[in-house]
Amino acid sequence: MRFIQDTRSFYRDMRKYYRYALRLAKADLETEVINSYLDWLWWLLEPLGMMLVYIFIYGVVFNVIEEYFSVFIFIGLTMWSFFAGNIMESIFTVRKNSGIISRIYIPKYILLFSRMLVNGFKMLISFGIVALMMLIYRIPVSVHILYIIPILFDLFLITFACGTILLHYGVFVRDLSYVTNIALRMMMYLSGIFYAVGKRIPPPYGEIMEKANPIAWLLAAARDALIYKTAVSWELLVLWAVIGSLILLFGISLIYRNENSYMRSI
Amino acid sequence: MEKNDSVIMTEQPDIAIEVKDVCISYRLLPNITMKHSVFEEKGGHEVFEAVKNVSFSVREGEILGIVGENGSGKSTLLRSIGGIFSPNSGSIDLKGHSVSLMALGIGFKDTLSGRENIILSGMLLGFSEKEIMQRMDEIIEFSELGEFIDMPLRTYSSGMHSKLAFSITALLESDIILIDEVFSVGDERFGRKSFAKMQELISDKKHTVIMVSHNIRMMLKICNEVLWLHEGRVREIGRPMSVLKHYYFFMTE
Repeated sequence: MRFIQDTRSFYRDMRKYYRYALRLAKADLETEVINSYLDWLWWLLEPLGMMLVYIFIYGVVFNVIEEYFSVFIFIGLTMWSFFAGNIMESIFTVRKNSGIISRIYIPKYILLFSRMLVNGFKMLISFGIVALMMLIYRIPVSVHILYIIPILFDLFLITFACGTILLHYGVFVRDLSYVTNIALRMMMYLSGIFYAVGKRIPPPYGEIMEKANPIAWLLAAARDALIYKTAVSWELLVLWAVIGSLILLFGISLIYRNENSYMRSI
Repeated sequence: MEKNDSVIMTEQPDIAIEVKDVCISYRLLPNITMKHSVFEEKGGHEVFEAVKNVSFSVREGEILGIVGENGSGKSTLLRSIGGIFSPNSGSIDLKGHSVSLMALGIGFKDTLSGRENIILSGMLLGFSEKEIMQRMDEIIEFSELGEFIDMPLRTYSSGMHSKLAFSITALLESDIILIDEVFSVGDERFGRKSFAKMQELISDKKHTVIMVSHNIRMMLKICNEVLWLHEGRVREIGRPMSVLKHYYFFMTE
């Protein structure tokens, strides 16, 4: 019963506040442009620089080479940064916005949603570079490239879902960010940013680890769709969307039930 | 029945705010660390009741004043009427009216222009972009910022900052206005202007107002009714003259 009621409130509040979230995201992006020296160029330079680091370490030092390695890494990095960046930010959402929250009501996840739009925009720019690299390397593409749309949708949903839960606990648990940092690092190595999980880890573990970890699976799926001309499993796409939605509703419900006590804890 | 009362009775405006049996409590569990929850016993959630079984109603266009000692739950009650937190039990019915807590500069961003901040802040207050645009010129004029309106906020002096903040709050007004202490901002001249604007908003029959104040003389002058909160409960509610008199004697004892 509670879930149905919260779902309805979620729908109503999203409709009411999404314009504000968009406007705020735009304002945040403008602010970043104004504050940094090379402007928006950093949105390109940062992932490119990171890619070079990983190519050097994994490609040269450890000699792990996948086909189209730089594009392979770049896709992984782009999607991972989106996930990890939002997760870290979600913990501080309430603390960072106490100025707003203490003076007016706003569903707290809207603030996270707005930040996700900011990071999502940067991710799209990164994917612009992916497209450019694919042209340069003359990577042949097929119609499977369109799978990237539901893949990114799933990524957004799962990130939002995990974010809402961390947003809630971030208010009460002061040292959550340390724990999350360690967990994220662990997850990063397991998600195959710079190697193919399904291929490099001996069977059957490789496949299990790839399918049970949504981020690992989404990374692999994005590479299949974009550079390996391979179809992506619809069943898994739908399954992760359903799981993501359920976790999201749980997180939203958690926030609705507790947001009136957030103010006293910050 | 006295003559004063009968005037109000015959008009019978609709009820704009209905507060019924509202209780608000905080769970006191600030800042747990992992160490706490793992190594130390949970001492149960200590509950602090800030507001207990408060009921009252306010008619459209009227002004309700709230008095009480510090920590008696005034601001908590005001914030829950403004929707910042929901009550634990009881209900607050605003009969579909829009509400805002008068606060300055909500959601301001330093790097953005004054104009952009008017839009952001206004949207946060629940206005659509169109509604904000309609009043944009009025807000800018009232703020007396001139060309600075298109400069980023970080170039503003603190006086200019509060002028902008006040103009947004005063010109994007909602049906129900909640005021935690009447204030004035800016230099001498703007201070007078802002105070006058605020009084105009309060006494305007269009707006229903709940105000918290320690200024007994002002409350006596403008309120239709006064509520005295004591330790989270309604100690007395009624005509300003008698409630304020009892409150005054209580406080000076």
